[in-house]
Amino acid sequence: MSTANRGAPTRRSEATAGARLVQGAGTAGARLVRGAAWYTAPFALGVVLLLVLPALTTFYYAFTDHTGLGDPNLNGLANFRRMGSDPFFHASLRASLIFAALAVPLRLFVATGMGLLLAAPRRLGRWYRAAVYVPTVVPDIVLALTFLWVFNPLYGPMNGMLGALGLPTPAWLGTPWGARSAIVIMMLFPVGEAFLVVLAARRSLDPSVYAAAAVDGASPWQTLRYITLPQLAPLLLLLAARDVILTLQVNFVPAYVLTDGGPGNATLFLPIYIFDQAFEFLGFGYGASLTLVLMGITVLFIALPLLVVRRWGFLRR
Amino acid sequence: MRRPRFRLTTVVVAVALTAAACGGTSDTDSGDGQVSLQFVLFGDAAETAGYERMLEAFESQHADIDVTLSPVASQDELLAKLTTSFAGGQPPDVFLINFRKYGQFASQGALEEVGPYLADSDVLDPDDFFEVVFDPFRFDGETLTCMPQNVSSLVVYYNQDLFEASGVAPPIEGWTWDEFLATAQAITDGEVYGLGTDPSLIRIAPFVWSNGGEVVDDLEAPTTLSLDEGTAREALDWFLDLSLVHGVVPPDVEEQSESSESRFLNGRLGMYLNSRRVTPTLREIDGFTWDVAPLPVAPGGQPFTMLHSDAYCMAGPGEHHAESWRLIEFAMSEAGQRILAESGRTVPSRRDVASSDVFVESEAPPPSAHVFVDNAEILRATPHTATWTRVEKAADDVLEQIYYGRIDREEGVVRLIDETRPLFGAGG
Repeated sequence: MSTANRGAPTRRSEATAGARLVQGAGTAGARLVRGAAWYTAPFALGVVLLLVLPALTTFYYAFTDHTGLGDPNLNGLANFRRMGSDPFFHASLRASLIFAALAVPLRLFVATGMGLLLAAPRRLGRWYRAAVYVPTVVPDIVLALTFLWVFNPLYGPMNGMLGALGLPTPAWLGTPWGARSAIVIMMLFPVGEAFLVVLAARRSLDPSVYAAAAVDGASPWQTLRYITLPQLAPLLLLLAARDVILTLQVNFVPAYVLTDGGPGNATLFLPIYIFDQAFEFLGFGYGASLTLVLMGITVLFIALPLLVVRRWGFLRR
Repeated sequence: MRRPRFRLTTVVVAVALTAAACGGTSDTDSGDGQVSLQFVLFGDAAETAGYERMLEAFESQHADIDVTLSPVASQDELLAKLTTSFAGGQPPDVFLINFRKYGQFASQGALEEVGPYLADSDVLDPDDFFEVVFDPFRFDGETLTCMPQNVSSLVVYYNQDLFEASGVAPPIEGWTWDEFLATAQAITDGEVYGLGTDPSLIRIAPFVWSNGGEVVDDLEAPTTLSLDEGTAREALDWFLDLSLVHGVVPPDVEEQSESSESRFLNGRLGMYLNSRRVTPTLREIDGFTWDVAPLPVAPGGQPFTMLHSDAYCMAGPGEHHAESWRLIEFAMSEAGQRILAESGRTVPSRRDVASSDVFVESEAPPPSAHVFVDNAEILRATPHTATWTRVEKAADDVLEQIYYGRIDREEGVVRLIDETRPLFGAGG
């Protein structure tokens, strides 16, 4: 009773405030919108100058024979036809798709697992959480150099560990699957951002539901399967979409340093091939058209799952 | 009324920002009439130190020219830097580039040919240089495109202490493939390997030539690699056997764990194939003595080695060609080349400097520096066409896989030819 009494005036004052807001929408609201436009102007300007314009230029270059040196000439779909008969492009596409198929689910699994595991308060919890996040703030180049040492077949700790356990010690970066696995393993570490998102989301879930589940005698697995994961599903989907972009496009530096596309083009991911074409072989036009293809694939990979789950309805929340 | 003004302001700010951004880089003439030049090259600290000293000497003689040296770490980065700066309309005034890499720029007409400048020069006389270095830098086969600074070549660096410990004689001029292999076998013992080399096209080429073969079907207008047949294939197989049959080179896992260069530095490699480039680094060795020797000769074949040469190129769209040429003129003069030769990095392209005390009679190792000078007589070059960089990159990737036994030899040789063939005629 007392709670209800105390709550009543609050609700009334909220209502009046709301009415005032509606009343003032004509003048104050417009001022707010104008102010927002002013505040975002520098950012918008930066986006237009540094992202939109270059992206539009890429669209244009994709249909030219631009070398970066002379003036570009329009050549229609020649660049796209060339992709059809370019074995390196095929190898590159294959490398990228295999990598995304392996890395995205594994990275998501690690980030979610760590996030859920470390969400509950525990002794030294903040140290564990910091440890999971640290590889994310390590610069790409340092990460790559570290793993170059980790995967050193004779002196690296990875084979040292495998050898001690009596397991086979592969020549990691020398074989196609070894190199692919090495890069996937390396990329399992910088997952701090997704980890933080999952951690925060788990902590914001209503504890009373878990209390109810405990009363009903739900096992940890049932709790995870029927309570936690369904509530996190929209978020996980978003993280997966984000990770598709990251793994397809942002693996350039570590892969470039670790394998430079080899061996046998096994790790010639599209960003590396685009870089080689544009900046080593003066193929700006071809590089631009490859970039469009990469963008197309990325959009497709994000759109497909989103379309499939749209009917689940939770994305509107 | 307010909205249009907001848009206008945005446009004004955008224009102002763009102007400010562009203005900062396009001004190369400072107020006092001094001209600023940008000079780009690749190399580590030990290698670029010599160029810094050379530029100091140049600037002290030319108060009206200020040169900024912008070194990058690797050959790939050099290409990326050149491409982006050309595309951005701000290429460096002068840059140093290998003859196997300049073709893609020359084919686009992006370079100012140095031929006419050399013809008009009062300082430089073409007869002062080793003639062999000019041809690879004539892109159209006639006019000199860039000015070659060095005439380095592939040699055998060898660890004299390991040779003595293994009881093998030091290499002599005209030694044969068999003697070379026997030497490598005698030194190979557990942790120590007889030989280390990249399994790349430019390392294999001189062996092919020595055996009477060719690397490409036509040096002027190549359409395919020709390593799959006849004497060229024989030489390729002999080279591959060093790893696949005789095991005198560090195998895959060993090479991945420690590069041959590092192995040589640590005294666990008998012979190491490289050009002059590695000399400044090897001079840091103090645990043993080392020297250089010429490459071995094929049975019944001719001695040949691979040219390694970089040249000063001028960017076509530059405003300061006259000043750039004065810099190149100085770098190519006796004074300029002496400074660079002292650094150990270059084999001077000038005959007088190559035969002087700073090179052949230098106190610093290798004692047999004359090998580089003698090599000038037996140098050959790979093609320098617009797409050669791509051919090499693709070929080296396959060669590495065959050499370390990751793929079958026959299958690999077929792939080597098939995968590189489309690249010879590929567009930009």
